Amino acid sequence: MKYFYRMIAVALIATVVAVAFIPGVGDLVEENFQRYLGRAAR
Amino acid sequence: MKIVKRTVTIVLCLLLIPVTAVTTAAMKQRFADGPNRVFSGGPLQSGELYTGSEPDWSFVSEVPTIEMQLLEPPRSRRIWTAEFNGKLYVWSGYMGTPVGRIWKRWPVQAERDGRAVIRIDGKRYERRLVRIKSGDILDGLSAAIRDKYPSQTTRTAVEAGEVWVFEAAPRD
Repeated sequence: MKYFYRMIAVALIATVVAVAFIPGVGDLVEENFQRYLGRAAR
Repeated sequence: MKIVKRTVTIVLCLLLIPVTAVTTAAMKQRFADGPNRVFSGGPLQSGELYTGSEPDWSFVSEVPTIEMQLLEPPRSRRIWTAEFNGKLYVWSGYMGTPVGRIWKRWPVQAERDGRAVIRIDGKRYERRLVRIKSGDILDGLSAAIRDKYPSQTTRTAVEAGEVWVFEAAPRD
């Protein structure tokens, strides 16, 4: 489990960096979130 | 029992990744000049501020969405809009569902303080949002909304509080 937790920590940091700094990633995340939110609201 | 606990832990940890992605994207948008899709943006700063007589709003029939910012709180979002009888309207659906009420807080905030700025095609307009809860105007306005968008908005839905409609009136 120790390695799994480390892997998750690295994945979380990579996610934050990708969404914050790589153009288009934030938009992709928002597009998918919009899809799920719209479905949930109906 | 141990394997169940471990499975739950793994699932929760994996869920953290999309949650982090969504949270980061939402926070990033807060610092932007305007909204993107569903996440609120920062104040609308760029674009010429319109001054002069009341515009002919019929041009919004060609505009799919507008950016709207409330003065309090100073956050912006992208919303649908329609013109009817020379007046500009915005609205929020899903207000009768718990998810909708969490997702869309701007209508409640606009009812408290309706001062708003809207940006259409890069031009900013100072407006005041006035909620319309009932009245014959809702028949025509609902029809205009349904003509423009794939919307289920009806006068009944507005009067039942499922859809909150605001006139974007001039700010005096």
